Amino acid sequence: MLVVENLSCGYGGEDVVKDVSFTLPENGRLAVLGPNGSGKTTLLRAITGFLPARGKVTLDGTGLHAMSARERGAAVAVLGQMISAYFAYTVYETVLMGRYPHRRGGLFSRPDAADRQIAQDAIRRLGLWEERDRPVTELSGGQLQRVLLARTFAQTPRLILLDEPANHLDLKFRVELVEELKAWAAMPGHAAVGVFHDLDLALDFAGTVLLMDGGRAVYLGRASEMDPALLSRVFGLDVPSYMRRCRERWETLGG
Amino acid sequence: MSKPAGKYGALAAFALLSVLLGVGVGSVTVPPGEVLAALLGAGEESTRTLIVHLRLPRVALAFLTGAALAVGGTVMQSVLENPLASPFGLGVSAGAGLGATGVMVAGASAGALGSVLMPAAGFAGGVLTVLLVLSLARALDRRISNVTVVLTGMVASLFFSAVMDLMAAMSPEYAQRIGLWQMGSFASRGWRGPAVLAAVLALCLAAFLAYAPELDLLTFGDEQARTMGVDPRRARRRLIVLVSVLTGAAVAFSGIIGFVDLIAPHVARRLFGARHRHTLPAGAVLGGSFMVLCDLAARTLAAPREIPVGAVTALLGAPFFLWIFFAKRGRR
Repeated sequence: MLVVENLSCGYGGEDVVKDVSFTLPENGRLAVLGPNGSGKTTLLRAITGFLPARGKVTLDGTGLHAMSARERGAAVAVLGQMISAYFAYTVYETVLMGRYPHRRGGLFSRPDAADRQIAQDAIRRLGLWEERDRPVTELSGGQLQRVLLARTFAQTPRLILLDEPANHLDLKFRVELVEELKAWAAMPGHAAVGVFHDLDLALDFAGTVLLMDGGRAVYLGRASEMDPALLSRVFGLDVPSYMRRCRERWETLGG
Repeated sequence: MSKPAGKYGALAAFALLSVLLGVGVGSVTVPPGEVLAALLGAGEESTRTLIVHLRLPRVALAFLTGAALAVGGTVMQSVLENPLASPFGLGVSAGAGLGATGVMVAGASAGALGSVLMPAAGFAGGVLTVLLVLSLARALDRRISNVTVVLTGMVASLFFSAVMDLMAAMSPEYAQRIGLWQMGSFASRGWRGPAVLAAVLALCLAAFLAYAPELDLLTFGDEQARTMGVDPRRARRRLIVLVSVLTGAAVAFSGIIGFVDLIAPHVARRLFGARHRHTLPAGAVLGGSFMVLCDLAARTLAAPREIPVGAVTALLGAPFFLWIFFAKRGRR
């Protein structure tokens, strides 16, 4: 459903993403792994065309880079993180903004009944119904991220790109966020690509990984078949033994 | 999802009351009934002259200036995702003031030419200043944080005010006019100013209302606006130019008046919610009414002397600014 071919992209003449290719089927989930500066976030920006990129990106056969901003907004959503809100929109108003790329009609056009229904469904789905009239400025970080996720769902995209959406969240919210996204991706016509800082969370999100090192894709395939030595080299740390130590710590918890 | 009709009714009543007070109270106080009669073309000739020809243009200019500043402030805060931003704080007002002062000192501020040149120079000064402030802020801090923008704007404001002081000192024949005008005044201007400002305000407000959904999205930051299909840079550029046009026109006719552009959007959001479809018109009416009342205070508190209206708005606005600033900080 998503086909990325020979994608390169960078800032000021120097490529930060170098010749990356992968395909993602319907209901597919791909986790992009890599250390800081390996080009993960730039890859997402190259896919959407937010940064000028070379190469080809097609979604269901249509070139993403040739779409208008509005068309792209209707097809692809990027979920980043929102740490604080400055303006006191209510939860409902914020989620309803997700309908913006689908709006028909010219100037001064407003969301119609179908738009409102979609926004309300997204709010219910994320358990925010009781909070719908609360200003987002009063919400906790975890609730705010749920509102952002509801807005992403209300955007009814076919592809969601996750740009480290869970960094600042408590463990419970992280796990819930990933579960919501997995359920969404399992619905017809959907797929998701996620950049996560946390390796555990990344593997919880997807069994298929793209490992990046210095802008290049050095591994693409099942996480379970990845060479531990490669992972350790890319991260500059003996990752498997570190993970083992972590697990032992939890297993011995409580004596 | 609340019903705003009642709130709009209360807002209209507040606006009407402030206008009636504005035209009724002064060196000669006219009771509300006679004010209404005069406005409708009835009553005594002398009262009608006072109300319709002397006070009404002044009140109209005050109202339109307050509305223009409030609308400019609302948009500026949204496009910079910064509730502490305002055209005044960003130096737009001072830059616009410098432009208009230049026209004044060059002796080109009189007549029909002046009524075009003054706002045009105000607009040019405003746009150049905001470009200067934003590029300076970007050079100092690549992420253009709120604090950097506010501080850079303050520096620009102070600097341009100093340049205006310098111009006033160099051209004594305009010194008094420049001095009065630096703190703002709506004194005796006739209908030309209000007419031009009303036209600029109507056009800009319509454009901003057409941009309301984009403005809503921009308050959440560039990345989020972009994922919805808004080009944040292009939208911001257009909106900032329009704000500069509006602020430049307001400043050119009535001088530099601070804080209304900062306060009115906050009050409007508190009462009518954050959506621009409501904040913009409500802020305009609130800012206009507030300015009429401030001008009333400026005319009457120390009568027969007149206090600069900018001093009144600053006296009320400075504590309010502090309150917003510390209330926001306390929450984090």
